[in-house]
Amino acid sequence: MTWVTKSTAAPDSTTILRGLSSRKRVPLGSEIYNRLLETLYDEAAALDERRFDDWIAMLSPDLVYQAPIRMTRTGANRDRDVMRTMFHFDDDYTSILMRTGRLQKSAWAEDPPSRCRRFITNVRVGECDAAGEYEVVSYLYLERSRGDNPHNEQLTAERRDVWRAVDGGGYVLAKREIIVDQSVLGMSNLAVFL
Amino acid sequence: MLQQASLVLRDGTTLDDLIMRDTNEVSLRVMTDEELYSHEMERIFAKTWLLLGHESEIPKSGDFIVRDMAEDNVIIARDRDGSVNVTLNVCPHRGMRVCLGEAGNKPIHQCIYHGWAFKPNGDFIGAPVEREKMHGNNVDKATLGLKKARVHLYGGLIFATWNIDGPSFDEYLGDIKYYMDQLFCRTDNGLELLGPPQRFVLPCNWKVPGEQSGSDGFHTLTLHRSLMEGGVMGGTAESIYDQAPGMYGVDVSCEQGHSLRCLEAEKTFKMFADVPFEGKSVEERLNLLTPPGITKEMIPQLFKNLSADQVEQLATIPPQVGGMFPNILIAFIFAPRTDGGSSGALALHTYVPRGPNQVEFVNFIFAEKDAPEQMKRDMLQNSVQQTGTSGTIEQDDADVWPVIMRNARGGVSKHMTLKYQALHGHERPEGWKGGGLLYPGFTKDDTQWNWWMAYHKLMSEA
Repeated sequence: MTWVTKSTAAPDSTTILRGLSSRKRVPLGSEIYNRLLETLYDEAAALDERRFDDWIAMLSPDLVYQAPIRMTRTGANRDRDVMRTMFHFDDDYTSILMRTGRLQKSAWAEDPPSRCRRFITNVRVGECDAAGEYEVVSYLYLERSRGDNPHNEQLTAERRDVWRAVDGGGYVLAKREIIVDQSVLGMSNLAVFL
Repeated sequence: MLQQASLVLRDGTTLDDLIMRDTNEVSLRVMTDEELYSHEMERIFAKTWLLLGHESEIPKSGDFIVRDMAEDNVIIARDRDGSVNVTLNVCPHRGMRVCLGEAGNKPIHQCIYHGWAFKPNGDFIGAPVEREKMHGNNVDKATLGLKKARVHLYGGLIFATWNIDGPSFDEYLGDIKYYMDQLFCRTDNGLELLGPPQRFVLPCNWKVPGEQSGSDGFHTLTLHRSLMEGGVMGGTAESIYDQAPGMYGVDVSCEQGHSLRCLEAEKTFKMFADVPFEGKSVEERLNLLTPPGITKEMIPQLFKNLSADQVEQLATIPPQVGGMFPNILIAFIFAPRTDGGSSGALALHTYVPRGPNQVEFVNFIFAEKDAPEQMKRDMLQNSVQQTGTSGTIEQDDADVWPVIMRNARGGVSKHMTLKYQALHGHERPEGWKGGGLLYPGFTKDDTQWNWWMAYHKLMSEA
């Protein structure tokens, strides 16, 4: 589960990604599956409740956190629509710390905060080559209520994660690729994490 | 006496009622008025030059991208002769979009409805079943091409206009070209777009971000205080208003409404190290603080592509942020990284109207083509983390603009005015080499007022 960041504006270097890349499935209902699912729920709750320190504690220091842009393509390239040359998020552990620090101090964005519900479904899990690492693919449905606007902003995405088992139990997020479905985002900023 | 503007809305309101040239105020109503918006489509967006992309997006013959000139969708395609063509993405047969993808490569664009086909330059090739003349019995094929816009490449940036006989691109740029060249035309191989642009929609009129792009430096101090608190601009939380980092410099502008904020390199450099610039040569200064996106190895290219005066400015008081009228924002900024680097961030935005109450924010992120791969990687990260959808600077703007928009709809609120009365007035600093309208000192409202005057001028011309 690796991806290459290439610096070029010409769009045809993108790859098609389908299903799990892992060949060793972790079956639904197995203990590891259940614990990973629980971890995703815990993470969603930490973000919805704006407990950033709790969220940071779930991240690995070698984190890669990216959201490539999506494009509308046709013909032979119709499925090459995830553009890994440009991102809505292009972050690592340090820059996430910068973002959460700002959100808790001097940002006007998210002050007042939006009220978010992150619904995580369609979770599929496989074993990675490295022991204790799991490929976790999930769907994200985000409903975001802002100010006195009665209409929520929404976003749907697939998240392709690598979670790593740590000593003492539990998992940390080592990689996340967020594949948003909109080519033009309807959300006026991404001051919330996906 | 000011010349009377010729635009009158159905309720009798004139342009001069909305843009009060005697008191430097603009009625908040302009931010949501539907009638005004329809005039803007004709008098501004069908008339002026508009930025669509960069030629590095379409390197090969047949490569195309699809973008919007306001609400008109266009195809930007490279033809076999290497030319860049901009054509309306509307089939002249029955009005369908000819090109449905956002980017790709096609030697021929064929409409999926009835099959009319066009070359990358828009020329009509024919309709299926040629013997039946489905393009018409007595119609010359030469008249059936896609509607062609006039194109100009500037530093690889693709500009187009529907105003075929209107001002040239250089006339459109005016005196600001001297300064823009320092950003866009300074290296041998020019800029490269690092990927297709970020796109997102905000619930506000295009002029809300538009007037800010007329070099609103002042908002940075309050709205973007996190830059100060993070120490990125050399201040601290306690000293924001006392020291006002980044507020002093020379704002440059012109009657066409474009502007740039030029900030002293020495003050910027203090963010990194406490070394005085005084007595240092232009070359030494450039080596101490290379302009955003430039490496030390590329410095000789600056001398080759720019005049000595332009290079001196780049080394001493470089242009960093600003905009081109009507809807382009420029951010070529220093971006100190947590890893100690300072490769910078080069971003352009266009604010594309999508009706009176919505704007599409298109974020183009660049690096110099000759920059090393790692630097391009760093610059992509810098730009994504600071600008556009998730950018920590522009997250804050996105929370302000839609609220102004809601206020513009109130029966009472819409008669409030935007005030541009903190004016410095044109003043040429001693020894200043470039032309245009110049505003040295604390950043004030002059450049944004010039933006509104450019708006007023175009809106007055039917």
